Amino acid sequence: MDPFFYLVIVAGAIGGASTGLLGVYIVGMRIPFIGTCISHAAMAGTIFASLVGLNPTAGAVAASVLTSISLAANRPHKSRLDTNVGLAILFSLMLGLTFLGMGLIQDSRSEILGLLWGSILFVQRDSVVLIALMGILLVIFTVVFNKELKLLMFSRSIAAATGMHEGLVYCVFLVVCGLILAVNLKVIGGLMIFSLITNPAAAAYQVCRGHKSVVITSTLLGALSAVVGFLFSFYLGLPTGACIVIVSTMAFGIAALYRRLSGSAD
Amino acid sequence: MANGCIELSNVTVRRSGRTILNIEKLSVAAGQFVNLVGTNGAGKTTLLCVCCGLIKANTGIVKLGGVDLASLGGWQKVALRKHIGYVPQSAEYNAELPFTVREVVAMGRTSAKPLCSPIGREDYEIVDSWLESLGLADRRNQTFRSLSGGEQQKTLIARAMTQQPAVLMLDEPGANLDFNWKHKIMTIVEDLHRQTLITVLMVSHDADLLPVDAGRTILLHDGQILADGGIRDVFESDAFEKAYGYKFKVLDFEGRKYVLSRGR
Repeated sequence: MDPFFYLVIVAGAIGGASTGLLGVYIVGMRIPFIGTCISHAAMAGTIFASLVGLNPTAGAVAASVLTSISLAANRPHKSRLDTNVGLAILFSLMLGLTFLGMGLIQDSRSEILGLLWGSILFVQRDSVVLIALMGILLVIFTVVFNKELKLLMFSRSIAAATGMHEGLVYCVFLVVCGLILAVNLKVIGGLMIFSLITNPAAAAYQVCRGHKSVVITSTLLGALSAVVGFLFSFYLGLPTGACIVIVSTMAFGIAALYRRLSGSAD
Repeated sequence: MANGCIELSNVTVRRSGRTILNIEKLSVAAGQFVNLVGTNGAGKTTLLCVCCGLIKANTGIVKLGGVDLASLGGWQKVALRKHIGYVPQSAEYNAELPFTVREVVAMGRTSAKPLCSPIGREDYEIVDSWLESLGLADRRNQTFRSLSGGEQQKTLIARAMTQQPAVLMLDEPGANLDFNWKHKIMTIVEDLHRQTLITVLMVSHDADLLPVDAGRTILLHDGQILADGGIRDVFESDAFEKAYGYKFKVLDFEGRKYVLSRGR
């Protein structure tokens, strides 16, 4: 294997681990579609930043963070708008903006469409450093806000009624989501992010007992899905993104089967 | 917050042009056990939310522990809520997550500790003592989702108590439980009230089993207090018959009070 591919494996492992860890909270809060929504926001941000001559990554980050804040501003018990419905509305807006931008940009549509599946094989060292830094930020955030995030996942009603800064923590969490997804988009791709957020965490929730074991399992499964998926694609000559998605889905399938057969976790 | 007293005067809450809560005067002394009853949509949960400042009243004054909620900023209001232990209805928590029983009970320390401050050994001592008190010690490493509805309710009460609250609010703790568990949960709440002397505000649909300790029952109907008094005074009142459309009779049996419907 060409030494360049080691960088690809490292990028995949870090991206997979980050999304696997993030997925614990996203799946726990029952908002998995945030992955697709923010990915499309990042795509729209990238396109419009390119259109006006700004840095595409900065555009992706700005659009993702703005989308996260808009989502956090929705208080379901007051607005009577379920978080997932809010996500769907924001997603449709971002999809519309993405296609509008693609219509305007004309020349580099394939590059923009590449954001859907990412371009892990063309990863740059700078991108790996950036996603590693964001991964560290995520770990720090989850450690510092550990008790608050657990209560948010368990019950936002209890969190709000009993004196936790529920709105603030939720908003900060969504902004961190936006940052992680925006910087991982170019490498992992919007569609793959969705799989790597949902599948490892869903698998961990099937077989684990206790929050700590869910966190460790999901993070490892995310990293493993990315690495094993890449190795499959490398040795079998198959599309990388598709292999990673299929491996992560298989991980969930095996976990669900294991739970069913062994009755584990409880 | 010095104590768990609650005071409301001329409080109204309006939603979509409709008044859903209209309380002229309500005063709950610290340490009192209040049983809040009423039909669906009577305003019971809204009243709980108003008392803890989650729903802002359109008019009137709401005081918790003697502090006027309207005089508080957002952060101060959040700080005041640390003194409220809340046991929600089952639809309001995610019972599918594989949190262990000890983890769920330890969540009670979340608001008792400052933001970002980790739960330490002294917190786990409080957690373990409540697990012990409520007979959950042998279940501590089991997942919350594997427990029966009654055991989950008991865990949520332990979670609320771990917070060391001045007021314990329970929103239909007996909902979806069989009679045996309803009886157990009621006994647990009564024992807690006797041991800790905290204010208990319990919303209940169940007329078949009543808290012995509830010195006071409040009947809400269409957002208004129709009756306020002892169990027998309220359940056998004309107001209760008006609200439910049935006549009721309170029976004493082996130290407990039960309510029977006597038909229309």
